Amino acid sequence: MKQLLSKIIQSGIGKSRKLAAMLGLGLAVLFILMAVQIHADFYELLYGKKSKTDSADFLVINKTISNRTTDKTASFFTEADIADVKAQPFVLKLGTLSAANFESSVSSFSNALPFRSDLFFESVPDEFLDVKPSDWHWKEGQLDLPIIIPSFFLDLYNSGMALSMENMPQLSAETVMNIPLRITIGGNGKVEDWAGHVVAQSDRINSILVPESFMKFANEKYGYEKKTAPARIVIKVKDPSDPKLTEYLEHKGWKTNTEKTRFSHIRKIVNGVVAVTGGIGLVLLLFGLLVFSLFLQLTITSCKNDIALLQTLGISPKQLKGFLIKQFLPSQILLLISGLIIVSVLQVILKQILTGYDMHINSFVSVNTIIAATLIGVVLWFVNKSTINKYIES
Amino acid sequence: MNIQLNQLIPIPLKEKILQGSSDIWNNNVVISKGDYLKIVAPSGTGKTTLTHILWKLRTDYTGEVQYDGCNINGINAQVMASFRQQKLSVIFQDLRLFGHLTAIENIELSRIKSATPGVGAHEVLEMAETLGVSHILNQKANTCSYGEQQRVAIIRSLVQPFEILVMDEPFSHLDENNTLKAAGLIEKVCKQNNAGFVLMDLDEDSYFEYTHSLKL
Repeated sequence: MKQLLSKIIQSGIGKSRKLAAMLGLGLAVLFILMAVQIHADFYELLYGKKSKTDSADFLVINKTISNRTTDKTASFFTEADIADVKAQPFVLKLGTLSAANFESSVSSFSNALPFRSDLFFESVPDEFLDVKPSDWHWKEGQLDLPIIIPSFFLDLYNSGMALSMENMPQLSAETVMNIPLRITIGGNGKVEDWAGHVVAQSDRINSILVPESFMKFANEKYGYEKKTAPARIVIKVKDPSDPKLTEYLEHKGWKTNTEKTRFSHIRKIVNGVVAVTGGIGLVLLLFGLLVFSLFLQLTITSCKNDIALLQTLGISPKQLKGFLIKQFLPSQILLLISGLIIVSVLQVILKQILTGYDMHINSFVSVNTIIAATLIGVVLWFVNKSTINKYIES
Repeated sequence: MNIQLNQLIPIPLKEKILQGSSDIWNNNVVISKGDYLKIVAPSGTGKTTLTHILWKLRTDYTGEVQYDGCNINGINAQVMASFRQQKLSVIFQDLRLFGHLTAIENIELSRIKSATPGVGAHEVLEMAETLGVSHILNQKANTCSYGEQQRVAIIRSLVQPFEILVMDEPFSHLDENNTLKAAGLIEKVCKQNNAGFVLMDLDEDSYFEYTHSLKL
């Protein structure tokens, strides 16, 4: 039966017409699947575990100091500022950097390495630190003061200071952590020496840090003011390249590590490209469906007399519809699967290229791409069914 | 099954019908399963029109046609198809074969259109042998002579299950010898199926033992 019906209907299908319709639909399917996959790859690059660095989610924010800033308090974050930042959807966590209210200096206990420098301290809640050394704690009565310095301090010293001064040696990170430091803290009518040593270096927070417990104690003991507002805050964000974050900071006139947020501009461009590709794919898909629907209508119309005779002879509408669906849908599904295979091959090639740039994406097409292909399959089935129904019923 | 005609008048023939007299038009007629009904109809009296109305190919008439008590205008395409597959068969005057299919393909299409074919494949060959068309079975229908096509159309109508066979001048292009063979085959299959027929033709004939004869 199928063979006979096929022989009757096939005579109405022009091969070149079918090829053109398939080509149009195939291109549309390929475009839309590629757009979905590019989108998925982009998000994989942004949020994928392999691509994410530990410090990428933390940003230290301070207010911009301009020539018109005469009052130190203008750089402080008020409680309202902090509440506003916390309320932003892109902020996961917020901590404040507490500044010292006392004067301090550092010098050497030994004459072998004579140095002295004025100093400042800040503290930050431990959960915002990227390093957690085992001796990072202080309690009242403890004479030894653990200190965390920014990584670039040592780089500056070794590549700048040590090279330019005759009697200053270059120091390794281990050496720096072994040097005992005399920390002199003064204020509130008192001057006292503490024994400090560097316990770690931070890539995330560019400040000289002491434990929060010590900062609280020292501010109370030596501080010239009992309580001050923070001048810097640290936030944990889901995505430092989120354009909303950069817009928010620009709007407030606040500053952060621009290196981390610079990607937001690129992201806007990529988002735009993905949207345009997706849009073109969608328009193409609509045209593809239209072309295919017209092709179907044309085929059925050109077989109109044969279909009418088949019905006259007792071939049921159900038999005809089932046959026609089987005649057209499999080639379209094959087209869809081919599109998926092409996108899969392109994905493997793209992965190899990106790996060379230390960017990591999945070797397989995303679930979203497969969902998109399934949805297109459903749409194709619907277009076929409704077109055939319309013509067979009429 | 039965086919009932109630006061049937084709609109294009209305004036002519109302002026004359007919056993069919504007009358009540019941065609039942076992009937061998001959309808004698001179040219222009509406044989083909009646065939097309009975087959629901045209609806430009007043009155009513019923299949088993149901007005055929209320029967949907799917149910109509099941009547055409299981209970009714037809030989059109214009044959209506698929020209680009071979003779055997035309016959097979009818034989296997329902899940329960009326006859087996070997019986088709026997029928073709009986009617002398075995040699053209693999020939495209549009390359066969009209007489051969008519015999193929007769075989096509007999290979499906049916209870009533509607025939519109089925022997118009057959010689006497072939007509007798065809009539014999039709009668044999009707008996096998316990079926009846409606035969519309120009003149009286004695090819069958008709249960009744009507004038159109």
